[in-house]
Amino acid sequence: MDFYFGLAQLVGVHTLLGLSAYIVLLTGQVSLAQAGFFAVGAYTAGMLTVLAGWHLVPALGIGAIVSAATACAVGFPALRVKGLMLVIATLAFGEAVRLFFFNFDYQIAKGDIKVGPLGGEGFRQIRFFPENGWGTLEVMLFMWVFVLLVMALLWWFDRSRYGTALRAVGEDEVAAQAVGINLTAIKVSAMTVGGAIAGIGGGLYAHYTTHIEHSSFNILVATFALAYPIVGGLQSVFGTLIAVIFVQAFLIEGLRELGDWRNLLFGALIVLAMNLRPNGILDARALAALKRAFTRGRNA
Amino acid sequence: MLDFLQAVSDGVLFGATYALIGIGFTLVFGVMHKLNLAYAAASVGGAYAGLLVLGVMAGAPPWLVFLCAFAAGGVLGYLVYLSCFHFIPLGSPLATLMATVGMLLLIDEVIVHFTNGMPLAYPAMFDDVMLRAGELTLRGDLLLVFGIAVLCMVGLLLLLYRTRLGLATRAVSQQSVAAQLCGIRVGLVNAMTFVITGLLGGIAGALIGASVGALSPLLTTPLTVKGLIVTVIGGLGSIPGAIIAGLLVGGFENVFQLFRGVTERDLYVMLLLFVFLVFRPGGLFESKDDHH
Amino acid sequence: MLDLRQVARHFGGVRAVDGLELTVGDGEIVGLIGPNGSGKSTTVNLITGALPLTSGVIYFRGRDIGPLPTHLRLRAGIARTFQNIRLFGQLTVWQNVWVAQNSLEDRARRGFFSRWLGGRAGVRDEITQLLEFGGLAHKRDELAANLAFGEQRRLELARALAAKPKLLLLDEPAAGMNSEEIGQLRERIVSLRQRGVTILLIEHVMELVMGVADRIAVLNFGQKIAEGAPAEIQADPLVRRAYLGGKA
Repeated sequence: MDFYFGLAQLVGVHTLLGLSAYIVLLTGQVSLAQAGFFAVGAYTAGMLTVLAGWHLVPALGIGAIVSAATACAVGFPALRVKGLMLVIATLAFGEAVRLFFFNFDYQIAKGDIKVGPLGGEGFRQIRFFPENGWGTLEVMLFMWVFVLLVMALLWWFDRSRYGTALRAVGEDEVAAQAVGINLTAIKVSAMTVGGAIAGIGGGLYAHYTTHIEHSSFNILVATFALAYPIVGGLQSVFGTLIAVIFVQAFLIEGLRELGDWRNLLFGALIVLAMNLRPNGILDARALAALKRAFTRGRNA
Repeated sequence: MLDFLQAVSDGVLFGATYALIGIGFTLVFGVMHKLNLAYAAASVGGAYAGLLVLGVMAGAPPWLVFLCAFAAGGVLGYLVYLSCFHFIPLGSPLATLMATVGMLLLIDEVIVHFTNGMPLAYPAMFDDVMLRAGELTLRGDLLLVFGIAVLCMVGLLLLLYRTRLGLATRAVSQQSVAAQLCGIRVGLVNAMTFVITGLLGGIAGALIGASVGALSPLLTTPLTVKGLIVTVIGGLGSIPGAIIAGLLVGGFENVFQLFRGVTERDLYVMLLLFVFLVFRPGGLFESKDDHH
Repeated sequence: MLDLRQVARHFGGVRAVDGLELTVGDGEIVGLIGPNGSGKSTTVNLITGALPLTSGVIYFRGRDIGPLPTHLRLRAGIARTFQNIRLFGQLTVWQNVWVAQNSLEDRARRGFFSRWLGGRAGVRDEITQLLEFGGLAHKRDELAANLAFGEQRRLELARALAAKPKLLLLDEPAAGMNSEEIGQLRERIVSLRQRGVTILLIEHVMELVMGVADRIAVLNFGQKIAEGAPAEIQADPLVRRAYLGGKA
């Protein structure tokens, strides 16, 4: 059973990662920086619980705020960079964050051991969960409260004028401006919210793996973050969730069947998926079909 | 002071390889307005394929290995085109982007698989030759790397500006719909762009292997990032920009390494990128046709 | 309402618009015509702020709107439709209109949270009215990209009206329409004027412009070459020459 709880934890964290890229993607900004915000949230929350002895919940909160602030700071210069250049710029930003933590030392003594981030060695002993007697089930439930809250928030956005404005900007910036939408406010706010979501995800990630290091936040993670909403489809938050389950289930189950070949086939799988369903698993048609299926069931 | 000049000269010579990678990214962007994130991986892949020559002919001369890498790069370039750009509709840029990411992962993993993740030695030429220019030492192998890279760039420019294919390529990059209406086979031009950049990439990968002395699958990620940085600094779509930016990044990188060591070096290269993004987001040679 | 004084827009050596003087009074319907390339669309882009002025001033209701970005000009009361329809294709008809309700009046009426995160309850009636005006109420939940061409044009108009504009810039709204559709468009424009909207109509289709405008200004090579009532313009030899070339 523990295995499945562990899997659920992994899916939860990756869903948050994917959702942080999702909201930014809606506005037409392709961001590879989400792994960077994820890292900021992870290190911040970790340092607060380990070095300052805080409880996890406020630590997560501050982690989210710091990530959001970082994202906001990135959001403004990002306005000046268009299209594919933004992909490169955010990629570089994510790498810069990773390199920053690669060189980051901040240790204090606790008893006779030193705790805290230590450059390339990473940040070990983030033991809030074990030290407070949390079992795998409790950790999973705790995480999923956050995941569900975030999904609910984004689902609400999608149905509100804010979400409609996000998508309008993503579709046609010129027309959006012409109807009175403030591009700066929309794009930067989306980046900020994305940063906050990544920050929460990062904080949770740090505590459930208990050990983070710079390589946990590399380009691969950044591309995974982007892959989930793209492969899942941008029409709905559920697309991202489905993509995460699909990908993680493949990777983990695949390990059993395919062993060493799974990473290779994973790359091939993405290529295939994009050729077969360029608009994602849950694209507009699939979503419409699902909706019809549900309403038919209700009317029957 | 001498150390500084030496670092600059070595860096600039090596930077020619970055220039080739940058050209690859920028050319695909210029012609198709798409980013091929698998490019650096394909280049490294081509370089590895070059080693197959040694598998077949034990004492083969290095230039044969380079030639094989060159050709393999072209083949890989075409494969990337087929898998990521040929079938996916134009209106789905995210899909092509993600597909190239998939190819990047795929190529990386294939390399890791066939080499068990261990670095492989790469043949070099003239690595025992040291020329002196005043107080500076110029490594023979780096000079060769620089020379071959320059040859390739000249070849590419000749292709683009003196051949019909080159003319067609430039036409497609400026107005793909009009080009199609004029009878230019856009699909063919796109495919050829990938083959040509693939050839360049293959030789670039081989040259990098030759100057470092070894190839490792770990090379792919930093090369992708640096290649993209070169492309941005040079200006997306500008070949002269990529060339100059490549040399620039090579030089700066070595200087950063001299002053701050290897671990912090890459961080400073990022900072260099950000400086450009803030002050000159269009790059050194801003592309005049901005239709994205 | 709108006052363009010595407005110019140069692209390098090309003078897309040069020394343009144009006024539009409250409640007027002014037509702006001219051959292709005469600077009509550039003028619209200058008024909405999509292009910056090279020189000159634009006054809107007495205020210099030069420093205002496009979305703030919308709030000030200037809305436009696009010549080559720029709807939000992946949004529904309803959403296209909903997202465009950004007038000062709407901003004052509802608080920030209510406007952006609240539900549709408060605005349902207004949007329905706008859709009915455009004959699109029955297609509320249809994706804009799936509409027929005529319907898309009507949605463009409804969307522009969602912002409760004082001045409406119509950029070639009749392009691609048949006589019957042009007649319907004409009626709509007239009823808009009755509701108090001032209109600047950029158009090629003479049937529409001559029939509905109070006054017409004619551009050629970025400059105004004639201005007056429709009858005068039709008789003007300079205008004839601009359109037909050669002797009048």
